[in-house]
Amino acid sequence: MIRFEESVRAALAVRDGAEPGWLQGLRRRAGERFLAQGLPTTRHEEWRYTSLAGLAQLAFEHRPAPASTAPAPGGEPGCRLVFVDGAFRPDRSRLAGLPPGLRVTSLAAALASEPDRLEARLARGGAFEEHPFGALALALARDGALVEVPSGLKVSEPIELLFLHTGAEPRAAHYLSLVSAGEGSALTLLERHAGEGAAPTLTNSLLEVVAGPGAEVEHLRLQEEGPAAFHLGLLALRQDAKSRVASRSVSLGGALARAETRALLAGEGAECVLDGLYLGRGRQLLDQVVHLDHQSPRCTSRERFKGILDGESRGVFSGRIRVREGAQQTDADQVSSSLLLSDDAQADARPQLEILADDVKCSHGGAIGQLSEEALFYLRSRGIDRAQARSLLTYAFASELVERIRPAALRAAARRGVMARLPGGALLAEAA
Amino acid sequence: MAAEKGKMLIIDGLKARVAEKEILHGLDLVVKPGEVHAIMGPNGSGKSTLAQVLAGRESYQVTGGRVSFEGEDLLSLTPEQRAARGLFLAFQYPVEIPGVGNMYFLRTALNSLRKARGEEELDAIDFLSVAKEKMKLVEMDPAFMNRSVNEGFSGGEKKRNEVLQMAVLEPKLAILDETDSGLDIDALRVVAGGVNALRSPDRAMIVITHYQRLLDYIVPDFVHVMAGGRIVRSGGRELALELEEKGYAEVRRGPAEARP
Repeated sequence: MIRFEESVRAALAVRDGAEPGWLQGLRRRAGERFLAQGLPTTRHEEWRYTSLAGLAQLAFEHRPAPASTAPAPGGEPGCRLVFVDGAFRPDRSRLAGLPPGLRVTSLAAALASEPDRLEARLARGGAFEEHPFGALALALARDGALVEVPSGLKVSEPIELLFLHTGAEPRAAHYLSLVSAGEGSALTLLERHAGEGAAPTLTNSLLEVVAGPGAEVEHLRLQEEGPAAFHLGLLALRQDAKSRVASRSVSLGGALARAETRALLAGEGAECVLDGLYLGRGRQLLDQVVHLDHQSPRCTSRERFKGILDGESRGVFSGRIRVREGAQQTDADQVSSSLLLSDDAQADARPQLEILADDVKCSHGGAIGQLSEEALFYLRSRGIDRAQARSLLTYAFASELVERIRPAALRAAARRGVMARLPGGALLAEAA
Repeated sequence: MAAEKGKMLIIDGLKARVAEKEILHGLDLVVKPGEVHAIMGPNGSGKSTLAQVLAGRESYQVTGGRVSFEGEDLLSLTPEQRAARGLFLAFQYPVEIPGVGNMYFLRTALNSLRKARGEEELDAIDFLSVAKEKMKLVEMDPAFMNRSVNEGFSGGEKKRNEVLQMAVLEPKLAILDETDSGLDIDALRVVAGGVNALRSPDRAMIVITHYQRLLDYIVPDFVHVMAGGRIVRSGGRELALELEEKGYAEVRRGPAEARP
């Protein structure tokens, strides 16, 4: 038997008797679902370019590391939830000075204090049972973030969710996070994944974001995991009428990282912006998957994905846009482009349109190319050497997406990460 | 390569091809410090190829001849080394580089040259005062410095930006490739004014143009007529006026035609 699945089976056998019956049932069904399907292989259409053969060989510890439950140190304002090796770490988090009505806590704490409030929400997570890692998150995640913004509240400071791996031993961290923005509210969410240590790790994160009518959500996911990391991040987005959500993903780390987004435009006039920037080097595989479901009329979606691939890295973009029968006057635009910095790097793009309404505007485009010889010559003719000219142009390719990140603090964090990964990036520190 | 005293640039029998097509067929030219040479000629005569080859464009292959710049074999140098030695090409079609700020680009370029020459690099504040001074020369709106290099610039703005770069980088030899193309008369006046302000006894210029109009503003010391990949006639300023009057076909039949 495959070692990964064996370790999952062992983890599933340990049940948490303190959890309510409905949750135990949900977890059991999800676990059985995962084991019945097993890890996806490249024979599955959704995973055609993303081989999990390396992951299959690894047995992980799936239970969270025991963590201190000491309360957050008081005083320091700001809102940051820190999770380490699968569990919330109150001692490293900051939860001071939150505006009244805003609820920010850990899933484990919410499940312990008032589990039944979460029943309906988690039951809806059952929609992800078909997704192998969605099912695995439902079955095994003991923690994650819970953010609830009440109607009308505009939260000015970003809420940061930081997920860390210590990498001390082969460990899988499963997270289930639930974020909801009430009617007319506003929220900025920074989701960061990072890791250290040499041991192989898996981050399996299912984040559900629900934007109520007219809500505005700005989400940045910044993935900077270590070189031995597997990262599987699934963002499930549901938008009500006239809500506006921008989710921007910057994928930098990991041996294999998949950033997947499933967006449902459920209410009329919703606007969805999905940006994705991914920088691969060495033998990294960076996979971006988007399923965009236009269910209601007059919704707008904008997808911009850019890959920068060096060494023997591989980048994949699969973007499916589905326009349902009643979703008239849909305006969907998808652009995916890649820059290959070496002869051995590879990029694959798979746009898919499935349009069942007749009055729609849908487009997709993009290109896979190399740095412009003309632009390189222009820079070199001004005395800028070849290496620096290349890094300048490479950053320029990325900057379109970096510069769109709001607010400035998040943009700066993303920019630092991107520059640190670019060849000659240190020289560019002032470029932007 | 031995330097010939007092000569900055010596082009000797230069042949070059691009994509299997030979464009320069043995071109000779000598430029001394302080001189302004105009190279005129019909489309396809090889004027822009000459400019690109001198600046070091790799897609152009030199198949014969030699070029010496201040006694050094220019053709053995990379484009950035040529820039560091003091060569500058004002592009006919300046390249748009979205995402790279104009100010940052210019400062990086200047500091690259300074570094190559063993000079201290300028910080952002010192550079700003240099740039501001030079921008007046080409009457450039400072707002352009905060935009991406040439992105969305009009034809005239791009050419001003080329001359601004030249002013900041202070080359020994500037090659202006069709700097007048796409300019209305006001822009032409501004650009030419910038170029004239940069004329000096130490600096040479090669002005490539299709029309004599530019030479009313930038008055050359020598005029050369290019055709079929070589210089077929050379003369003083009056040659440009003759060209204007008689056209290229007539002038080509002049005495230089007999040259080997």
